[in-house]
Amino acid sequence: MKAGYKQVKRMTTYMRLNHWVVAFSMIGAIVTGLYIGHPYYQSFIADPAVGKYVMAWNRWVHFMIAIIFDVSSIVIAYMYFFSRFEKPYKKIIPNAQNIKEFVEVIINLVTLNRRKNFDSTHADSFNTVFFLVFHLMLAWMLLTGLQLYVHGLASGLSSIGNWWPWMLHVATDWTIPVSNMLIGSASPTACIMDVRISHHITMWWIIAWIMFHVYYQVWRTIFWKEGDIGIVVSGSKFVKED
Amino acid sequence: MSDKIEGVKKLFTSKSARVETNKGDAYYEQLFKKCHERIESLKTNQPINNRLDIGDVLETHGIERRDFLKWASAVTGMLMLPSSFTPLVADAALLMNRAPVIWLELSDCAGNSEALLRSDGPKIDEIVLDVISLEFHETLQATAGHQAEKQLEDAMEHFKDKYLLFVEGAIPMANNGSFGTIGASGETMHDHLVRVSKHAAAIVAVGSCATFGGVPAASPNPTGAVGVMDVIKGKPLINIPACPANPANMVGVIIHYILTGQVPELDSLLRPKFAFGYRIHDNCERRAHFDAGEFVEEWGDEGAKNNFCLYKVGCKGPMTFNNCSIIRYNEGVNWPVGVGRGCIGCSEPDFWDKYAYERPMADANIKAPTGGVEKTVDEFGLGLLTAAGIGIGIHAAASMAAGKKEEVGE
Repeated sequence: MKAGYKQVKRMTTYMRLNHWVVAFSMIGAIVTGLYIGHPYYQSFIADPAVGKYVMAWNRWVHFMIAIIFDVSSIVIAYMYFFSRFEKPYKKIIPNAQNIKEFVEVIINLVTLNRRKNFDSTHADSFNTVFFLVFHLMLAWMLLTGLQLYVHGLASGLSSIGNWWPWMLHVATDWTIPVSNMLIGSASPTACIMDVRISHHITMWWIIAWIMFHVYYQVWRTIFWKEGDIGIVVSGSKFVKED
Repeated sequence: MSDKIEGVKKLFTSKSARVETNKGDAYYEQLFKKCHERIESLKTNQPINNRLDIGDVLETHGIERRDFLKWASAVTGMLMLPSSFTPLVADAALLMNRAPVIWLELSDCAGNSEALLRSDGPKIDEIVLDVISLEFHETLQATAGHQAEKQLEDAMEHFKDKYLLFVEGAIPMANNGSFGTIGASGETMHDHLVRVSKHAAAIVAVGSCATFGGVPAASPNPTGAVGVMDVIKGKPLINIPACPANPANMVGVIIHYILTGQVPELDSLLRPKFAFGYRIHDNCERRAHFDAGEFVEEWGDEGAKNNFCLYKVGCKGPMTFNNCSIIRYNEGVNWPVGVGRGCIGCSEPDFWDKYAYERPMADANIKAPTGGVEKTVDEFGLGLLTAAGIGIGIHAAASMAAGKKEEVGE
């Protein structure tokens, strides 16, 4: 460690593990999801059908990732409030201190680091809100995804019991009218295609979110010189000692 | 907007799409008894007017009683009733001429009437619909003008609170409904529907236009067309969407009504579950090709010759609920996917804008959230990414040129 710098722990092992599980799941979900939305490569025509199960495998991977996401999201939602390491919800509450920090971080970004009037040792309000947007989008993907999934259980039966499609209907049927509103449909009657369109459009917003996220972390690392990019690997960053 | 708020209110109250195919012996025994009594009492009634006797009509068409009973057992299966109900269903079909029906024709192409009339060599479904006591049908009747209105008045008076009202076509609402008027008095379609539905026992909206607005309601919907359920509230309403509605499903609903005196179990879009409880995709003969990733890439290619899945040329079977992949059309002859062109989702709301574009949803021209501008979903997404990329690029370039890096002591 360089003299005059102190090491600050920012992410626990679990948080880092979760980050990479989510990151790779995200890539997998996008690759398979784009195929489901529009199959962009062909199966070898000469193969017998039994030897290729391309769409089915894509859907299988997509759903498996969805389940990993589900579980991860439930844990993240819990940790928002009950983590012993840091409680992100405290940074989302719009009190004077958080709003000031939020604005200062944006000013720092647009003034290209010419002004930096906030403490960058801890998770800042701007990034926490930015991540909240991500978590909300992810929750929306999960709920709309489960709604699309339950269409295939139309008979009300499933291999793990009838409670499963029943629960999915109770938990996600409301996404149909909400999707209808979100995509700005002129129709008075919401339909399940609205959910599909919303699920697909939200994917593009999430990709845009990832682009900014990666860029911003690299930018911070270059201009703040506090080793921010290392947080997600080692769990720590380094800040100047006062 | 208020409709949408209404929709949100129903968020947690909507019934599960679960289709109960077996409700237990006790339930069916009690239902059988009830239906039996109802059929017996209907038998004592005289046929309304001078209707044809279905037995005679079947005989003239050269359909044997054996075929008729085979058809009756198929309908029993379709209605999800045990096979012991077959004789009751056959009786109900023979009593079709005891059910008074008024048929309204609003903003549409008359395709549902056509579906009944133009089948080559009518099958039992069509024949049964021929002999219902059709008291009034704007497209088929010989009378016109004031005479026709008089006939409608008479039918409504005579069968007050007893007639089934079939509605075909959307209701234009813009400009106070002046886009569509009917009859010598120039009554708007809206007023016409409201007036006739007032004393109907139940309303059956037939076809996609009458159910969800259909093609007349497609963007930009200049006439403000809507379906019956957006106009008539507080009446028993059954939606039989599809373009055209399958005669088998119409017969199913009427027979169910005659048999039990009730409307069948409905889903959240008021469609009978016996017909719309299953997804087309799950009973499709090309489903294996979907899972294998074998798709028709363009019309007439090798895949098309090998009956591959039509998903990439826009089949909406995975998002559409209807029984055409099971019962097909024209008494099981064929159906859209069977003839090699995908499902266009005609039994779902807004199908013309959101389903019937012959390409996967990801490639579709849909209305952008801001309205007006049409972009495909993925073009919108790529546009978003481009905007994000340009923003990031500008910020990165500016940072390179003018950014202040923290001083680091060596």
